[in-house]
Amino acid sequence: MYVTTDVAPRLLEDTPLGPEAGGLYRRQNIWTGLGFGVFLGFVAWLISHALLQGSNWGSDMVVTVTMVAWVIGFNIGMGSFNAPIRWALGHDQTHQDELYAAGVGQGRSRYLKFCTDHKVVGTQYLVLVLVLFGVGGTLAMLIRTQLITAHSSFLSPETYNSLVTIHGMCMIIATIIMVSGPFTNFIMPIMIGAKDMAFPRLNAMSFWVVVSAVPCLLATFFLGGVDAGWTTYAPLTVQAPPAMDAFAVTIITFVVSVTVAGVNTIVTIITMRAKGMTMGRLPIFTWGSMIGGGLGLYAMPAFLLVMTLMITDRATGTSFFVAAQGGSGWLYENVFWVMGHPEVYVILLPPVAAMLEVASTFARKPVFGYKVVVASFAAVAGLSIMVWAHHMFTTGWAPDLGGPFMLTTELISIPTGVIFLSIIGTLWKGRIWTRLPMYFVYLFLWNFIIGGVTGIYLSDVPADQYFHGDMFVTAHFHYTLLGGAMIAATAALCYWFPKVSAKMLNERIGKIAFWMIAIGIQITYFGCSGRGSKECPVVWRTTTRSSSMPTRWPPVAPTCSCSDGSCSCTPCSIRGATGSRPRPTRGAPRPWSGRYRPRCHWRTSLWIRW
Amino acid sequence: MSFEEQVDELERTVMSEKPFFSRPGGKIFIIWLILSVIGVLIGFYAPHHLLPAMMSSTGTDVFKTVVVFTVLAAPVAAFVYAVGIYSLIAWRHKGDQDEPPEDGPPMHGNGPMTVVWLVVSSLLVVVLLVWGLSVYMAQQVSHPNTLQIDVTGRQWLWTFKYPGTGVESRTLVLPLDRAVEFNVTSVDVTHGFWPVALGNQVDANPGEVTVIQTTPDKLGKFSVRCSQLCGLYHAFMYSSGSVVTPTQFSQWLQAQGVPPALADRTARIAR
Repeated sequence: MYVTTDVAPRLLEDTPLGPEAGGLYRRQNIWTGLGFGVFLGFVAWLISHALLQGSNWGSDMVVTVTMVAWVIGFNIGMGSFNAPIRWALGHDQTHQDELYAAGVGQGRSRYLKFCTDHKVVGTQYLVLVLVLFGVGGTLAMLIRTQLITAHSSFLSPETYNSLVTIHGMCMIIATIIMVSGPFTNFIMPIMIGAKDMAFPRLNAMSFWVVVSAVPCLLATFFLGGVDAGWTTYAPLTVQAPPAMDAFAVTIITFVVSVTVAGVNTIVTIITMRAKGMTMGRLPIFTWGSMIGGGLGLYAMPAFLLVMTLMITDRATGTSFFVAAQGGSGWLYENVFWVMGHPEVYVILLPPVAAMLEVASTFARKPVFGYKVVVASFAAVAGLSIMVWAHHMFTTGWAPDLGGPFMLTTELISIPTGVIFLSIIGTLWKGRIWTRLPMYFVYLFLWNFIIGGVTGIYLSDVPADQYFHGDMFVTAHFHYTLLGGAMIAATAALCYWFPKVSAKMLNERIGKIAFWMIAIGIQITYFGCSGRGSKECPVVWRTTTRSSSMPTRWPPVAPTCSCSDGSCSCTPCSIRGATGSRPRPTRGAPRPWSGRYRPRCHWRTSLWIRW
Repeated sequence: MSFEEQVDELERTVMSEKPFFSRPGGKIFIIWLILSVIGVLIGFYAPHHLLPAMMSSTGTDVFKTVVVFTVLAAPVAAFVYAVGIYSLIAWRHKGDQDEPPEDGPPMHGNGPMTVVWLVVSSLLVVVLLVWGLSVYMAQQVSHPNTLQIDVTGRQWLWTFKYPGTGVESRTLVLPLDRAVEFNVTSVDVTHGFWPVALGNQVDANPGEVTVIQTTPDKLGKFSVRCSQLCGLYHAFMYSSGSVVTPTQFSQWLQAQGVPPALADRTARIAR
């Protein structure tokens, strides 16, 4: 049972808070979190170091224990566990405490606190996602700089390999939460007429848990680097330095957060809809959030499982994945991809659904084929749990299953095709209003078609036996995940930014950024796929020995990926926006007014006080 | 509405019934046709430039597959692009971009169109599947007279053994037009055995033997790479390979210290 924080915001601010309201929450913020996290981590390090020194797997155990202690300490310090602890002690939080936790009367400082207000959590997620994209993008630019010539020695091999790993995982984490974090939290409850998420405290916790995972990920650089690639295939990882343990703890922590957030989303949508908001009337974005979140509940625990087994292999000497002692690398690969493929759609479904809202708003038409789209979301989610072994066509595991997995993989293109039909159907005879968000819808269309077409070669076993593991695959999934999902998420960001901040984005800066991104993606990944199909494995420090393509392309590609990364569009545009005044049209903050968009969430006259 | 007004209305409708190529559908058809032709041309010509010259039966399969799939995908992609381009040209809201345009027609969907779309995409999937499976099945058929080669990956080099001859080599030499079966394994971590221009690959897993086969059908050199990240010097893990005539193959075996009779027998040369 949740304690209600569901008072309209204006009312919240008028509610007088007693001096004792909030209790411990009053003293907690990000600094106490950091402090307690570091403290507990240090204590755990001291103890485990003293106990385990000299044992076989001592350093792995020490790193694991320290990282876990940091995560728990940080969250205790933030206040994530206040309520359950008080409950366990026999009290419950008072209504006043809940109001305080929801951020009443704390101004901007509530953004650095454990705050249960879904709008605050959404904004916090947005900032975190942009920071993670900044980190991941910087790593990508370093990678491209290394690839500038065929034999550059800008980075050492071990640095290069660990950059690739952390770039991959940083982006995976960021893309999984890029829409389900900010917009599902901020927009979805308003869309369905709920006053907050179903479990506001879990919601705030899910955010601070991800935050505590980020230092673990970055710590890998100081623990020797994870040089095993983002898929961290065993048994290579068994050789990896202790950074691998920090990496595994990062994933485990992240999975906890995503699972909690997924449950919260689904429960909110099922139980908290306003009267009249039947399932058949849910805005399409809500469906995308729910199905994406549900799929995450299936996929992510496998990741937690496989990383836990990895830690036990490394720190306690089990041998799940060590062939020499009876384990199997294929076991790792199977469980990893059981997570890995549905995860692609956990990333993809919410942004695509959000982008359909954008297309509908700017074509001034309802979403084309609403029910068919919802059905195809469900079909994509259902099929995606049966396709994982297409990542393993060339591993030699069960060659006889090549046919069945080719079937399921190619079947998934049918519901994906319906999403294309819906977009072009929505554009059909619309009144296309080409504002910034709409630009990204067209860019999505362009990129995602390329991502889809490159995908059909890879779904074919004989062709995949050539393409697997080379830069062509890199180009393919960057076209789908960067060119598709991230661009759709950018459309959503440009679209909802006025709702979140009460400021319009600067369209001129936004469009400059748009063109840099659009062209940067094409040059970088067309170059990639061209070079890739001429024998260039993914995690390659040097490109091939001077066949013509590599020497011609790489100098161009890094330049473009730089333009790509540095302008991730939104930061620029947001800077442009912060200078401009709020421009609500017609009284309420409804900048994209029109009849057929889901109106509810624009109608609420809810202004965020920054 | 009076009768005259109805007649007027009808007349207006009939008069506005423009020829096919002046209507949106017709214009989109033209754009679609042009883009499809471009796509099909790309399908026929680009693989020659993007893929290396394939030197084996499996390599040729890859090449054909890329061409066929591109040609099949081109019209679909062209259709989406055509509607997108046309919508930007014809249906764009012109004038003051700060002012939102009127609402568009309230189309909530189109049953027949959806059905057509589903049927077409399902048919395409069936074609892809039939093509892919038939190629894959054909590759699984084992040939008589197959040359066996044991491939071992280790950090960070490849070793090729020719069973029965005692030859162990760092380079891969294959006779022309003879089916060859690679039995691939690893001694440390997972590697990816990828003889590039042979268009086939399989992982080298510690403790397991995985098998792929192919038939080299062109003379020349190719490179053998590792396609699975295997640690520090993964990028430098490559060997060279070559396809030679049976006579040359026998000579190469003899140069490795194989007695001439055995070498000729291994290379299937009648003495």
